[in-house]
Amino acid sequence: MKDKLNSNRSRTFLAITIPIVILFFVFNTMAVIQGFGYSLTNFKGFGGYDFVGLRNYIDLFSDERIINSYIFTFGFAIICTILVNIISLVLALGLSSKIRAQGALRAIYFLPNILGGLVIGYVFNFFFTYILPGIGEAINSGALSNSLLASPKTAWFALVITVAWQAVALNTLIYISGLQTVPEDVYEAGAIDGAVGFKKFKNITFPLIMPFFTINMVLCMKNFLMVFDQVVSLTGGGPARSTESISFLIYSGGLSGGAFGYQSANAVIFFVVIVTISIFQLRFLNSKEEQL
Amino acid sequence: MLKKSQLARTAKKTNRTITFWLLVGSLSVFFPLYMTIMIAFKDPSQMSNSIAGILAFPKSWSFDNFQQAMAITDFWHTLSNSILITGATMIVAVIFHSLIGYAIGRSMQKRGYRLLYLYIISGMFVPFAIIMMPIVKQTAMLGIDNRFGVVLLYSIFYLPMNLMLYTGYLKNIPLSLEEAAAIDGASTFKTFWSVIFPLMKPMHATVAVLTALGTWNDVMLPLVLLSGTGQNTLPIAQLNFQSQFGTNYNLAFASYLLALIPMLIIYIIGQKQIIKGVVNGAIK
Amino acid sequence: MKKYLSASICLTLAMSVLSGCSSSQDIAGKTTIELVTYKMEAVDLFNEFAREFNEENPDLNLVIEAPKDATTVIKTRLIKDDAPDMIGIGGDSTFSILVDTGVLGDISDYSGLDDIKESFLEIDKKLEPVPKTGVYALPYVANASGILFNKRIFAQYGWEIPDTWDGLINLCETIQAAGLAPFTFGHKDSWTTLAPWNALAVSMTSPDLFTRVSLGQDKFSNHYGDIALKQKQLLEYSGNDPFAYGYNDACTAFAKGLAAMYPIGSYAIPQILSVNPDLEIGSFVLPANNDPKTNILNSGIDLQFSVMEDSKVKEECYRVLEFFQRNENIQRYINEQISVPCKQGEFELNESLTHMKDYIDANLLSDYPDHHYPSEMGADALIQTYLVTGDLKKFLDTFDKDWIRFNQDNIRKLLEYEENH
Repeated sequence: MKDKLNSNRSRTFLAITIPIVILFFVFNTMAVIQGFGYSLTNFKGFGGYDFVGLRNYIDLFSDERIINSYIFTFGFAIICTILVNIISLVLALGLSSKIRAQGALRAIYFLPNILGGLVIGYVFNFFFTYILPGIGEAINSGALSNSLLASPKTAWFALVITVAWQAVALNTLIYISGLQTVPEDVYEAGAIDGAVGFKKFKNITFPLIMPFFTINMVLCMKNFLMVFDQVVSLTGGGPARSTESISFLIYSGGLSGGAFGYQSANAVIFFVVIVTISIFQLRFLNSKEEQL
Repeated sequence: MLKKSQLARTAKKTNRTITFWLLVGSLSVFFPLYMTIMIAFKDPSQMSNSIAGILAFPKSWSFDNFQQAMAITDFWHTLSNSILITGATMIVAVIFHSLIGYAIGRSMQKRGYRLLYLYIISGMFVPFAIIMMPIVKQTAMLGIDNRFGVVLLYSIFYLPMNLMLYTGYLKNIPLSLEEAAAIDGASTFKTFWSVIFPLMKPMHATVAVLTALGTWNDVMLPLVLLSGTGQNTLPIAQLNFQSQFGTNYNLAFASYLLALIPMLIIYIIGQKQIIKGVVNGAIK
Repeated sequence: MKKYLSASICLTLAMSVLSGCSSSQDIAGKTTIELVTYKMEAVDLFNEFAREFNEENPDLNLVIEAPKDATTVIKTRLIKDDAPDMIGIGGDSTFSILVDTGVLGDISDYSGLDDIKESFLEIDKKLEPVPKTGVYALPYVANASGILFNKRIFAQYGWEIPDTWDGLINLCETIQAAGLAPFTFGHKDSWTTLAPWNALAVSMTSPDLFTRVSLGQDKFSNHYGDIALKQKQLLEYSGNDPFAYGYNDACTAFAKGLAAMYPIGSYAIPQILSVNPDLEIGSFVLPANNDPKTNILNSGIDLQFSVMEDSKVKEECYRVLEFFQRNENIQRYINEQISVPCKQGEFELNESLTHMKDYIDANLLSDYPDHHYPSEMGADALIQTYLVTGDLKKFLDTFDKDWIRFNQDNIRKLLEYEENH
């Protein structure tokens, strides 16, 4: 009786699983394979094409534009990750302490997370082009009175601010829920031992919220490496190609530019890089967590 | 002992300094929104070149910009597209992803399913950029380079994350509940719908919130799939009509505000659920 | 089970709503001709054209679309194997790619081609990466790029139009001394850097440079250094930070009289007038050299129509072309878009183009060099990078290297072609 029930159950599970796995295979795995196929051709996306072997890959490594976009994307992701995590931690500590209107303040700080990156990019575009230089002039600051977006030396920073403004929201929330897992009496015990202020944070709080730190690092790196929306609306990759993220380059070069095959090769490399980083990051952070 | 009671007293007292600084900090959240509203309600002649002029309250609150922006971006049509796509994806995610989460989660003792689980989860690492171009070709070939295709693809792209969430949650639901139902003669489907699906409610909220936030604000998929079809989502409309706003920033900002408002309203109504959903999803 | 059923019904319903509204607009008994054009700014006029055409031809249904970023839309639709019947684009690198991939149909049997000025047909010929037989586009209107100036300011101070490079620089000094800004730039949008670049390059290089470089007989670095330096010199006379503002902002600044001159193409005039309809705009050829005789006008095909190879309604497309080519329709178009017709005959040109008209009549013009740069090369960003960093050597090296990288298939085909002919 139980066997029959079980086999019926397995059959149903199989019937549910198979179609969905097929769909997943077609639109995800097959697309990846197809993308790899295109990367071996000089396909423009339409018309005829030739098989060119690994030429695209060889070209990629000597293409300064591609290399620069990798350097930019990684630099951006690392700086943004650090900045966002520091701000989030400070905010989370503040929002977890005994304050007035705690719920309302938390809701306010989470607000940027729900807004679309593209539109926010447009709003910040105006802010950096008109408001900030205006403030700079008013306070007679030479550095501020030039638009951050006008120079390749500063445009990336404007992008960091815009992206961080939104990303801080989620990370703060994750840290807050981390802090909630720290039992009150741990602090009390620590306080008796003289652990207060930064020492308290370093020796007691941080080790306890390490898993949440891991989540945030992984989330941040992955999201920031794929940054696209804000690049489109804030800088369009400029000035002087200084803010071309990898995703943006693949879109603009492959679909608008007509280098379909070439950018497919770029996408394959990007995929390999993302997978490697994700695995490495999880391994590294997991082992660290266990040590503690 | 004295020390401890002192400590407890300070802990109970609200910390005014921190409250103050957090309030100051929250201005950085409000400022961009404040700026958007101020610019959106002015007409171009009120935009003097000084920032004080730009940021001041408008002399008269004008709704003309909104009317014009609505006409340019075909707002109601665009809004309904966004709602349709997000809503349909949300429904698909909750119904089908929980179902497959159940099927795979309850079969994990079998090696094949474990591999399958890892296979689908690994889809999380596929950046959209790599499948973007093949997807354009595939969907066109199948004739689904339309809103249906967008929903279908979202349902596939959010499968790895949602599968992980559902199977993770399933571990907390004891098997005995289903066995009892099965012995009563209920089919596997019926057991799922009447026993498991309701029990997964907290996870449904999380999945719905995460999926909805992701699809509502997404740019890339509708950009490559819907371009030229006349069907825009709210973000895509901002991108497509950017050049038509020209230097009329008031018009542009009215349009941005229109694009932000639906989410703002939903957030004001359901912020508790949204925050809870997002946190649950991230931590799991 | 009931719950499941109702849910799936809801779902099916939702899906059918979502996939409905298909884009085909077939009307019973009529043949539909679909035209996608990149002239978004002329969308109202095109809609009028379509309405009149459809009234005149009850058996046809002409549908004209002018989406934003139309070249990407056209390319994406080609990727999807869903090409329209006709396209209206510029004579630029997109046209080059499309001709080369063979998606455009040969229209050499279309009779209206005889009325087109020879120079414009030649421009299109030169855009074919590897020479082909046949004609693949009907040039419709041309634009010109040089320097726009504020007539009222010039008249007020009595300034003259310069015809030499030194004259232009002197004029800039004079304008600056008068406390005004000589130029405005919108170089936050990288493509605007191409306007002065093209205008300088046509007078300073020969149009066969591209072929010579592809065949390995010459290098861009032998010629482009001087152009780059001159373009950078112009930036010194900018009234604002040239890279802080985009095209729209620069048009607005010029329209408000914040600068005396604006190095941009005639295509910007409608936008400028939309900000300030009373502005009197003049234009002149950017004098790149000190010998006035060697300065020529930078003019290219702004809009041309092609019939797609796969279109099943080629004959009907020709009827559309005939309609567009009527003198009164051309006049309507050039009045609104302030451009120069590619058709022979007498047309009334907009006042702001009078100075350039002489060059056009005397055929002293040359196509935009950037129309020959493959778009994935991003020449505009290269120029912008140079203007920002001032690293000339790197710019020239990159230009030569990228040209070869992104043209390698064309170069191979060209070499094969040269061997066979």
